[in-house]
Amino acid sequence: MNKLNKFLIIASASIIGLSSCTKYSDQLPTIAGIAVSNPAFSTLKGAAIQGGVAVTLSNKNPNDAGGNFTVFAPTNDAFARLGLTDAGTLGVLQNSFLTNTLLYHVSNGNLPGSSITNGGSSASALTIPRKFIFRGTDKYINGSKILATDVMASNGTVHVIDKVLLGTGVNIVASAQLLSNAQVFKSPELTFLVEAVVYSGLAPTLSDPNNNFTIYAPTDAAFKAAGFATPAAIRTLTQAQVQSILLNHAVGTGRFTSELNGTTATTAGGGTLTFGPFTNGVYTIKSNGITTPANMVIPDILCSNGVVHLIDKILLP
Amino acid sequence: MKSLKKTIPIFLFAFPLLSQAQMPVNGFMQGKGKGAVALSYNSESYEDVYLVPQKVNGVPVFNKVTVQSTNLFATVGLSKKLDLQVNLPYIKSTGQASDAVLNNLGYQNERKGLQDISLYFKYNPFNFKTSNGNLALMAAVGVQTPLGNYRVDESLQSILAIGNRATQINTILIANYKFNKGLFLNASGGYSARNNNVPSAILGEFKAGYAGKKVYVDAYIAGQSSSNGTDILKEGFNGVFPQTRVNYSRVGVNLYVPLKYGIGISGGYSSYIAGRNLGASSGGYGALIFSF
Repeated sequence: MNKLNKFLIIASASIIGLSSCTKYSDQLPTIAGIAVSNPAFSTLKGAAIQGGVAVTLSNKNPNDAGGNFTVFAPTNDAFARLGLTDAGTLGVLQNSFLTNTLLYHVSNGNLPGSSITNGGSSASALTIPRKFIFRGTDKYINGSKILATDVMASNGTVHVIDKVLLGTGVNIVASAQLLSNAQVFKSPELTFLVEAVVYSGLAPTLSDPNNNFTIYAPTDAAFKAAGFATPAAIRTLTQAQVQSILLNHAVGTGRFTSELNGTTATTAGGGTLTFGPFTNGVYTIKSNGITTPANMVIPDILCSNGVVHLIDKILLP
Repeated sequence: MKSLKKTIPIFLFAFPLLSQAQMPVNGFMQGKGKGAVALSYNSESYEDVYLVPQKVNGVPVFNKVTVQSTNLFATVGLSKKLDLQVNLPYIKSTGQASDAVLNNLGYQNERKGLQDISLYFKYNPFNFKTSNGNLALMAAVGVQTPLGNYRVDESLQSILAIGNRATQINTILIANYKFNKGLFLNASGGYSARNNNVPSAILGEFKAGYAGKKVYVDAYIAGQSSSNGTDILKEGFNGVFPQTRVNYSRVGVNLYVPLKYGIGISGGYSSYIAGRNLGASSGGYGALIFSF
């Protein structure tokens, strides 16, 4: 019996030992683990799965000597600004665009919050750069406010942001065509605007790498609200009329919302735009030809020759 | 002792092999020519997953997973000292992903099919009578191998995979001390060698119970510790779940009541209390057992 008792004690201790070795609280999660374990990143988790980067962000970065990534992680609220309220809604996006957009949030190596400097930039895994902007006491990457820095992972660093970073890597016209050709959303967008740009003859200007603009881009819904039933209906106006209207949507030098400086700007057409206050990452835009200002629908899309903000109204001169 | 053996057909295998949460062999022998056939239904579910370094709420993609299994089990004593047992589970694993998510990923909320057949020989070479009971020492060796053509290589869809597609050779040593009045203590430990890059594992179980004329009841803690393998969403993870290091501790209870004509009913409940790379499932079973 003594031997038996001894055996049973050892046996039970060994089983309890199996459970005791399941405490790993001293280990850091990976970046993928952070996204999966934090409810504030549930849409990002869904995006990482659908975009095929969950396994990548579970592992060491093969493109960095230290094996690290830095990820600017959009919260659920950040995705919700784009109408992406849960993993299911990500189906409105083309998968290739989703994957590229996720990679735009990733860079090689550790970039600690302390290394972020005003006016600095950082190359993404998509190669398209991101710009750091300090505004008051807030820090931004492009137009996205950095809500928290330096969440440490075993394979890098996570900073939390309030807007999804959007970068196309191509010029303004080509970027608009990505949307109108349904290469971003599965449903075409900016089809009226692309038609207007082509018809007006402004496409060469807006695709010129030597030019740089902030473009306020009215959505298809904005054109419909203004009475255009189809993109072709724009051709009922003269080319000069369309050109004049479009030039009232362009301001010299591309700026993110976080770089809003002043309350007015002169457009490429010589008109004046009046801006509302910068609130929650957006501001309103009013032109002389409209009574209520336009709101931003999707701000801060970085193109190779400027920044595009989608708006809900045409800015008539 | 003899009367106990006659009245208590020892079944205790009404559990899905999927979780392998309980030792596949118990500490009692059937006796030559005697045995049992059992049909059991088990249902368990989980919303939390044991990952490293922490347990997370919400199963990726599927939110909540329910695993239901129907097992056909049979055991027979080939001799006084040698038992043979066979088990065949049919498993249905169901997720709760939204239609939109399923559509986005091309996934489905269900995987089902025949899982792995298992065959065990259990040998009882030594019995030591004491003043108040009997110590039985046993060794079992078994093989478990996939019978169905279920898949494990469907990326995250395979969260719902019904098994791990490994063939396993399991070797188990058992010590069972039964007091003359029906109480018993049982300790077992073993090694499960697995192929197909599924980590091999050490198995252990400690069980205490009562085997009386009108009722059998036990409570147990069982565990597995894998010898290697990756952690889900940790360095080295390649999206293949069967290659992960699965450890756990699970506690449970079993109850058996003999009725008439050799027929008895059984039920039980069990739950993981710790784990690594598996769903924190809890669930119960019911079984109909015919003893001969």
